[in-house]
Parts: sequence; structure tokens; C-alpha cells
Amino acid sequence: MLWQKAWLETRWRFISALVILTLMAGGNVYDYLATQRLLPMLNSTITPPAQGPGLAGVIAEAIEIQKDFRGFIWFQAFKQNLTQMGVLFAVLLGCGGLLSEAKKGSALFTLSLPITRKQLLGVRTATGLAQCFAIAMIPPLIIPVLAPAIGQQFSVIDSLAHGLCLFFVGALFFSLASFLSTMFGDIWRPLLVAFFIACGAAILQVVVPELGLFRVMSGESYFRTGTLPWMGFVTTAVLASALLYSAAETLERRDF
Amino acid sequence: MVSDRLAIETVDLWKRYGDVEALRGVDLQVPAGSICGFLGRNGAGKTTTIKVLLGMARATRGEARLLGQPAGDAAANADIRRRVGFVSDEKDLYDYMTVREMIAFTRPFFPRWRADLEQTYRQKFELPLDREIKDLSRGTRTKVALLLALCRGADLLILDEPTAGLDPAMAEDVLQALVGHVAGEEMTVFFSSHQIAEVDQIADHVAIIDAGRTVLAGPLDDLRERYQRVQLVFAGDAPTVTLLSPGVVRVNRQGRVLTILTRDRDPLMAEVRSLAPVSIDWSPVTLKDIFLESVRTED
Repeated sequence: MLWQKAWLETRWRFISALVILTLMAGGNVYDYLATQRLLPMLNSTITPPAQGPGLAGVIAEAIEIQKDFRGFIWFQAFKQNLTQMGVLFAVLLGCGGLLSEAKKGSALFTLSLPITRKQLLGVRTATGLAQCFAIAMIPPLIIPVLAPAIGQQFSVIDSLAHGLCLFFVGALFFSLASFLSTMFGDIWRPLLVAFFIACGAAILQVVVPELGLFRVMSGESYFRTGTLPWMGFVTTAVLASALLYSAAETLERRDF
Repeated sequence: MVSDRLAIETVDLWKRYGDVEALRGVDLQVPAGSICGFLGRNGAGKTTTIKVLLGMARATRGEARLLGQPAGDAAANADIRRRVGFVSDEKDLYDYMTVREMIAFTRPFFPRWRADLEQTYRQKFELPLDREIKDLSRGTRTKVALLLALCRGADLLILDEPTAGLDPAMAEDVLQALVGHVAGEEMTVFFSSHQIAEVDQIADHVAIIDAGRTVLAGPLDDLRERYQRVQLVFAGDAPTVTLLSPGVVRVNRQGRVLTILTRDRDPLMAEVRSLAPVSIDWSPVTLKDIFLESVRTED
């Protein structure tokens, strides 16, 4: 029954996330044709030398990458839309729980049930992670389904690989929100703190590219070399576990 | 050592929230099978005590036991809650569920769930099964909360202000349902209230808490028998006295009148005579008198 409760509490956030991310991924497929018509015009406005470091170099590389469908999808969907929105939805799915229930008044009923707080958090976490997995894997899979409609192909394996990358970092942000939700009863403060942490991670990625969280999430190494970011997976899994453990400990000590 | 016959026992229970001492030494002994009213003013510490008992808040110090098990042990407490029915003061349930879903959600947690009682109370309370909790009136929400507590097959029922916010007719309905239920079941009821009349109506034991401390506890009949009020009227202003007799609970001096509440009449008799008042008037006390005298600050 706790599963049902966790599902009922998060179903609209999950369904919204799934629909929006799937529409975005599908939209990116259809954007490809329009972008291909614009790219030659863009090429003519960027004059050489547009290589090497600097903004012009970055733009030139972005144009170059997006010339083929695989590159376009990676750049538009995995590097930008699904990563950014995926973080937002992972955080939203992680928000809530007992403290939020305490604000609504129903926490005392929940706490009067013959279950431990760890069980409550465990079920909620498992439900949330399953939802994160679904919103990470399903939207990328719409791409190989829709690609033939515009005369393109996209590998299912590539979709799954990128979905996995989205999931691991998404799970980290989910865990961060779960932890913050054991300290704040509302949804806004966890959201705000997670936003600042995401901004910090983005800045860190510019300064130290090796610590690029969003490079892991976009599956950049897979796109460029075909290698999954295993070290990134392990690191995010360890960090997520630490955050969930802290969430359980914080919740255990909290008075209601 | 906790007796098997005690459903609830606390010894010198303290609870601090930040700078506020919510409990400052609560001692309770609630015998199994009793209906114990837990009286106190608003903010006296009733809800905090209940939260500590149910493991919702941790005691700063002291000991609390529920059905013989330590309340502070998370795993043991979860297990005890299988045998405890609880209604919180707010009666808040899950807004997004219907009454039917709420019952279906709660039922599997309690192996001793009473399907017969569920049926009885569903009809008796005339619950709108397909309406969402958020659309229910406070009175109906209280009835749903009560059904969810009563059907657990619990050995102990803990109710925090069960009639708070209800109109008198609805409050009476709830109390009658409670009395009717307890009459047919072997269980202990511990309910907090600041409504003296309802405690007087259904309780056989009472515990009074004030400013986080237990000021009085025991069987109601025993308290009524032991407690006496003596009013001494003097020719002039009543003297400021320090009474040495055992059992003196409270002394109030107002003009020519000295009012003494005692839980032991005999030793006090000789001492009050020695004060040479104009008149001495002994009278029995009501629960209201006992409560007010117990929580009133001394003049």
C-alpha cells in the first residue's frame, strides 16, 4: 500500500515529466529538417578561422556536429533539452515526503502506521528512482521511432545508452532533492538549492571539464568515442547513495 | 519496572524544542483497560506527550513505554503501532484519496483489522465512500479518522482532542461512538482534551498536565473521594500561612477567604482549626474544581 501512496503522491509530476520530455525529444526529431535548411546560411555568416578555443570555435563545432542527424539529436536533445529538463523533473520527483506531509497535516496519520521511517523513505525513493528511470529511458526511445518519418535513422542502442546517462545524473539530483526534502517542508527551497547546485556544477564543468556532471548526463563520451562514462556512473551512484543515506538519517532524527 | 497491567507509562519525561521545554517531567501510569482522560490547557504538553509515546518525537530525557515496549526504539515502536489506534488533533488524512481508498489503504497494515466494525461504522457514520477527503467537512473527516482508528483491532486507542473543532451535536456523536465501542471491546483508551465535561463523561482515570508537568493523576472516583475543598472565612484579611499538613495541593487567599484544596482531609482538620477562622466549610470537588485548582497559578 505504501507503493500506491508514493505513486498517488507523485503521479502527476511523473506523467507531466514523461509527456513533456517525450514531446521535446519528438520535437527535436522534426526540428532537424528546419535546422538543416538554416545551417548553410549560418555557415556563411561564420567566417574562418572559426576553429580552436573561444566562442567562435564553440559555435563552429556546434554547427559541425549538427550537420548529421545523430549529431543534431545529441546536441539538441541529449546535451540541452533532456539534460536541462531532466534535472528539473528529477528534482521535482525527489521533493516531498514526510516533512511535506507534516505541512499538510497528514504526517501524523502516516507516522501512526506500523512502519518505520526508513521503510517510508525506502518505498518513496524506489518509486521515485523507477520514475526517473522511465523519464530517462522512454523519451530517448521516441527518437528511433520517429526518425524514419523524416527519412533518418537513429540507433535504439544509442537511445538506451543516452537514456542511461540521463538516468544516473538524474538519480543524483533526485537524491539531492530527497535529502533536501528531509530538511525543508516546502517544494521551493529544495528546488532553489538544487538549482544553485546545478548552476555550480555547470560552472565547474567549464573550469574543470573532467568534473563535468552534465558531460556525463549528455553522454558526451559515448557520442564522441562510443564509450559509456563508467567512472561518472560510479561517482554519481556513490554520491546519490550518500545523499539517500543522509536523508534516512536526517528523517530518523526529526521530530514531528 | 513496567507492569504488564500498564498500557502507558512515562517516567520523568522531558522534551525540548529549541529553547522551549515542552515537557518538564511527565509521569503517567495508565492501567490497561482504563479510559484515561489527559487534561491540560492549550499548550500544556498533551500533544507532545502523545507524539513522544508514538515515536513521532524523541524525548530529551526520561522514559516512555507503550504496551510494555520502549517508545523511543524506532523498530519496537513501529511494531507497537500495530496494536495502537490513533486519531490526531487535526484529523488530517490524505486529501487525494477517497474515503473508500483511505480505508483500503489503512486496512492491510493491521492484521487484526475488524471488517465487521468497518461495516458497522461505515453505515453508522453515513460516510460518503466515493468522496475525496479534501471535500469532507471537519466532522466527517473526524468520523473517518475515528473509523480508521477503531477498526485496527487495537489494544490501545490514543486520541488527541477527538472532539476539537466539532459542534456540540457532532462532538456528542463522536463521544457516544467511542463509549459504545469501548463497552464492547477490551481495550485502553487514552484521550487528551481540554474539555473537562467530556473527560468527566467517559473517563474512569484522569491525568492532568500543566506547563509540561503532570500535576495530578489517578482514578477519577478516587480523586473525587480524596479531594476536598475547605473554605475558611476570617473576620479580617485571611492570614498568609504555610500549611504543614500532608496532602495540601493549593492554597488561595483572597480577601477574608482562604481556600485550600487538599487530597487528605484528616490531617488538615486540626491545623485549619488552629487558624481560628470565623467559619470552616468543607465541600466535595468536581473534576472541574480539581482541574482548575491544579493548573491555577497560586495567588
